[in-house]
Amino acid sequence: MSSAETTGLAERLAGRRVVLTGATGFVGQALLERLVVDLPDTPVSVLLRPKGRATAAARVAELADKPVFGRAQERLGGADAVRAHLAERVHAIDADLANGVPDLPDDTGVVLHTAATVAFDPGIDEAFSSNVTGATNVFDAASRCSSRPHVVHVSTAYVAGVTKGVVPEGPLDHNVDWSAELAAAQQWRAEAEAYSRRPEVLRRLQRRAASDHRRAGPQAVAQDTERRRRQLVTDRLVEAGRSRAQSLGWPDVYTFTKALGERAAEAHAGELPVSIVRPSIIESALAHPYPGWLEGFKMMDPIILAYGRGALPDFPGIPDGVIDLIPVDLVANGLLAIAAHPPSDGAASHYHISSGHRNPIIFDRLYRLVRDYYRDDPLPDPHHGDVRVPEWKFPGGAKLERLLRLAERAVDTSDRALGLLPRSDRVRGWMTTTHRRRRQVELLRRYSDLYGAYAEAEVLYTDDRAEALRCSLSPDDARDFGFDPTAIDWAQYLQEAHLPVISAWMRGPSQPAIASPLAEPDGNDRVLAVFDLEGTVLDSNVVRGYLAARLADLPRRRWAGELVDLVSSLPGYLAAERRDRGEFLRAFYKRYEGCDVDELRRLVDEELAETLLRQAAPEAVRRVRKHRAAGHRTVLVTGALEELVGPLAPLFDSVVAARLAVEDGRCTGHLSQPPLVGEGRAAWLRRYAQTEGFDLSKCWAYADSHSDLPLLEAVGNPVAVNPDAGLYRVARPRRWPVEKWGSRDDKSSSVLTGAR
Amino acid sequence: MLDVDERTPPLIVHHGEGFSLQQFPLGTRVVYPPDSLPGLPDVTAAIDAALDEPIDSPPLDELLFADMRLAIVFDDLSIPLPPMRAPDIRQRVVEAVIERAAQAGVDDVHLIAANSLHRRMTPDELQHILGERVFRSFWPERLRNHDAEDPDDLVVLGETGHGEVVEINRTAAEADLLVYVNVNLIAMNGGDKSVPVGLASYRSLRHHHNVHTMLHSRSFNDPPRSAMHHSYDRMGDVVADTVRLFQIETTVNNETFPPQFDFLNTREWEWSYRQQGAYLAAKRANELAPAKVRRKVWQAVEAPYEVTSVNAGEVNAVHERTLANVHRQQLTEIDGQADILVFGLPYLCPYNVNSVMNPILVSCLGLGYYFNMYKNRPVVREGGVLIAFHPVPWEFHQVHHPSYVDFFDEVLAETTDPAAIEAKFEQAYATDPWYVHLYRTSYAYHGVHPFYMWYWGAHALDHLDDVIFVGANRKSVRRMGFRSASTFNDALEMASDSVGRSPRITYMHTPPLTMAEVR
Repeated sequence: MSSAETTGLAERLAGRRVVLTGATGFVGQALLERLVVDLPDTPVSVLLRPKGRATAAARVAELADKPVFGRAQERLGGADAVRAHLAERVHAIDADLANGVPDLPDDTGVVLHTAATVAFDPGIDEAFSSNVTGATNVFDAASRCSSRPHVVHVSTAYVAGVTKGVVPEGPLDHNVDWSAELAAAQQWRAEAEAYSRRPEVLRRLQRRAASDHRRAGPQAVAQDTERRRRQLVTDRLVEAGRSRAQSLGWPDVYTFTKALGERAAEAHAGELPVSIVRPSIIESALAHPYPGWLEGFKMMDPIILAYGRGALPDFPGIPDGVIDLIPVDLVANGLLAIAAHPPSDGAASHYHISSGHRNPIIFDRLYRLVRDYYRDDPLPDPHHGDVRVPEWKFPGGAKLERLLRLAERAVDTSDRALGLLPRSDRVRGWMTTTHRRRRQVELLRRYSDLYGAYAEAEVLYTDDRAEALRCSLSPDDARDFGFDPTAIDWAQYLQEAHLPVISAWMRGPSQPAIASPLAEPDGNDRVLAVFDLEGTVLDSNVVRGYLAARLADLPRRRWAGELVDLVSSLPGYLAAERRDRGEFLRAFYKRYEGCDVDELRRLVDEELAETLLRQAAPEAVRRVRKHRAAGHRTVLVTGALEELVGPLAPLFDSVVAARLAVEDGRCTGHLSQPPLVGEGRAAWLRRYAQTEGFDLSKCWAYADSHSDLPLLEAVGNPVAVNPDAGLYRVARPRRWPVEKWGSRDDKSSSVLTGAR
Repeated sequence: MLDVDERTPPLIVHHGEGFSLQQFPLGTRVVYPPDSLPGLPDVTAAIDAALDEPIDSPPLDELLFADMRLAIVFDDLSIPLPPMRAPDIRQRVVEAVIERAAQAGVDDVHLIAANSLHRRMTPDELQHILGERVFRSFWPERLRNHDAEDPDDLVVLGETGHGEVVEINRTAAEADLLVYVNVNLIAMNGGDKSVPVGLASYRSLRHHHNVHTMLHSRSFNDPPRSAMHHSYDRMGDVVADTVRLFQIETTVNNETFPPQFDFLNTREWEWSYRQQGAYLAAKRANELAPAKVRRKVWQAVEAPYEVTSVNAGEVNAVHERTLANVHRQQLTEIDGQADILVFGLPYLCPYNVNSVMNPILVSCLGLGYYFNMYKNRPVVREGGVLIAFHPVPWEFHQVHHPSYVDFFDEVLAETTDPAAIEAKFEQAYATDPWYVHLYRTSYAYHGVHPFYMWYWGAHALDHLDDVIFVGANRKSVRRMGFRSASTFNDALEMASDSVGRSPRITYMHTPPLTMAEVR
């Protein structure tokens, strides 16, 4: 194979059916596009798992709209033409690789097995079933096939683990029993599920859920408990995978299972021609179908983007370590060339498709290229101006780990401390800072755990076999299907193709912090906007409203007595409020016992209307009016008394408030129906939406308190207004808009002065 | 009039709810109001005389008869400023009219405040203007605020030759006699402004309260040169054709501040030792007081005004005499225009009595009212600079000025150009149901009111090259498109970009109110 061949690749593959797995993946799409567009005489089958109602054929048809077929769309005249072409050229077979592969077509010449889970931290069961069981099933199917197809198994260069030194293109040097590991891994899910259901575990989870969500009601606690249980199962499976992999010398379960998959493949080398191909870190296309083509974010991209956003202050890794990147089109071309050249002897052929040997880029150079790119063309900062990217100092893994642990502890401590403080602008400001720090620290922790080992690897993957194959290609194939890493100009590739593509979506129209579908009235009268009153629309609460009404009712000389009585009852009320808002309201409304209802109404109209309007946040009033202008139905939901909110009622289409039970014109001190708080609000809202025909996913809710979580969760557009610590902690990670309404200056005394 | 020389002491400058002594550059021309005129020795006699011998009209007694419907309409709390110490002159006049009506056997009497699109007055405020006796007798059934959004209580009287719709309060218009009781604080007030504006609806007001008219009113305190007053006059003619109107106008002198603040009524170099002490004490107390107390003290100030004239009869004839009296008290003649005009803006304008002076009102007082206190030519030349002292806090009274909050946050954030604002936003604010609701049932200025306040400054915005606020909240000043300076010297430095290094500076020493006739 040392001198250039005369038979071309197309000719070699002509009439030999190629069966492709993982066709919807990154490498799979690149391969499918080349097969369908550039190798017209090669029949193609794909093995695809049906997804929901989409059969394998339907999933292939969907690919016609993908950017990878952009070139084909131009040539054939649109996505529909590509779809027709795919339907004609591609024979789709429904197959779930982990659960057995159906018989392959009799004319199968090549099996390109690219399907795999590429996540670095899947659970141990998932990693094994897709990377090991999937592979063995594919090989079994190939063995059953009478045509003895050439199986090209796609692995990864990192199966060699993080050993230092030179890794040749040959079988891995380990003696792990892959079938024993597979059997053990399959036990894990049942075990984790059983563990998570143990009573003491469930109780612990429930306790934690309750401490976070008690105010939001028992349903919210139950939901959170179950969420935590599922998370616990996942965490245990992930941990099981990671610890087993690391105990055997692999950095993570991904490389571990891929290595075992290779063993499974090699076991079939006697009966079938087998090639094992190990690409390094696959990134966007160098040239084909167009420079920078990318499907989803690959391994390196989240790190680059996090850095571009200024969120990664540093990173583990050694500045002179080689980062072995390889563009996806080079991988696809290499795979096709290898597919056309099955091994002649009874042993599996191993290939590296990588850049580190012939055209290495070291971490420091990569970092500088990325840094310079973002310096010249920074990402926009959502708050002000542009992001200034940090300067990495490469402190080394051990030191970074120490710093990271310190930072994690600091963030935890300050978060706990803030949760105990009463809410105020200042506390919210601190919480924002803590939240931002926490995200930074968590991000760094995650990336450093996942990828740190790769950045610190001092490994060279030789590609002499691949080079020999390259040299044997005809000049035409070398041009059209070349996979020579020396063709990569790193600066040009990264700064002109890769980085602009992955940064593009961050540069799109900036997402405003405040959701603004309201900018233009949508005239949709089937949309609800629900507003909580106290702390959201109104800078006041039940106690203040009561005080104002009550004091206005009493002669001045009796104010002192009322105040003393109220203050002495406060600890009890506060305790009740912490337990359950409904309980608090019931306890509090007892104070209205004996009040004359007409008198209360008159007082509110004459004395409190001004106070109420004065305490209404202008932003709230504006937002309500905007919703109305947009044709939405606005609803005020409150645990406060209907009488007390009368002056605000005309602002809303309807008001749902607490009503005092009345006998003979006097309040009994009880409510005429349960107060609408916590989960009651969500339940009420669901019912209301159902009977009135509103689609909750399009509706809005505004609230300030953790107890309103169920209400906010019920709608598609939740907005946290002046949130308390509990709600804030939920709202930020879910990226709900957090808004500050009202000046929050001390207007409390106006309640007293206003009540003359 | 004073030209600042080496011997001139620092001069009082108002600065919102505060004041200070400010050294002015040599050569600064300081315009003081004329000395406060002596009040009428016997106001009751003057009222009786006016009612008995009206101008171009039969005496009031002859217009009153049993079984008639009488409407007594009076100016609202926007004038005089500060509110007049009780008894308010309107109380004395209204009492006299009611007494005569009672003698004539008139039972059907309605008292209506001509508050136009201003906020309703509270019962306390009405009682302050009319006195306890009148209030107790008529409130609430037969004493009320005009409601410019009550379709049942409005009537279209007709159109002027210019197509201007005259729509006013029905109860007042359909009475057998409409007696209007005014206090004429500045030359803009009174005359045909009283009924056609004070009792009008938005539909009628938009004909003269707009940018075009304001740009052609030079100034709006000089009725013959004011497009706004030309429109009032045309509407007044329509009113005169359909309504039996008996106009009573009064004027007050310049005793603006009560004794504890009387140094504010006196020229600095004439201060007695007592007044110097009072200045120091007041300044110190004012600075030490918490913001709430300070506001309460200032809002509680009542002016010891004395009445200088009472005239009654046919509106135009009466107003001619009233204007002469206003000019007699306020007009100062000066030669030539200045490059820089300086004001100290006080804590009060017509629209924040018992309320908060928000940034839009500050702008309106400076660029609207004070800038337009001229006859003939503006005090400052075209392309000149206005320097105003006021802290301009970013602060609003949410009950009184709800649409102002939104105007400031939404409209001014987009543009400060009056014409653009008028074209794009006015209609929506004017007809907004929530603002209408608040105007009618709460104590809110009408939704369109902030627009008028902004238009009030249109002539000044057009005329001036720069507006600089000294000692102001930078954010609120910037929102309005103006600039802010920490000190007067910094402001002068900034102004030099427009008017050079040796500008002619005129300081209008007001309040007490003064109006300049610029030759």
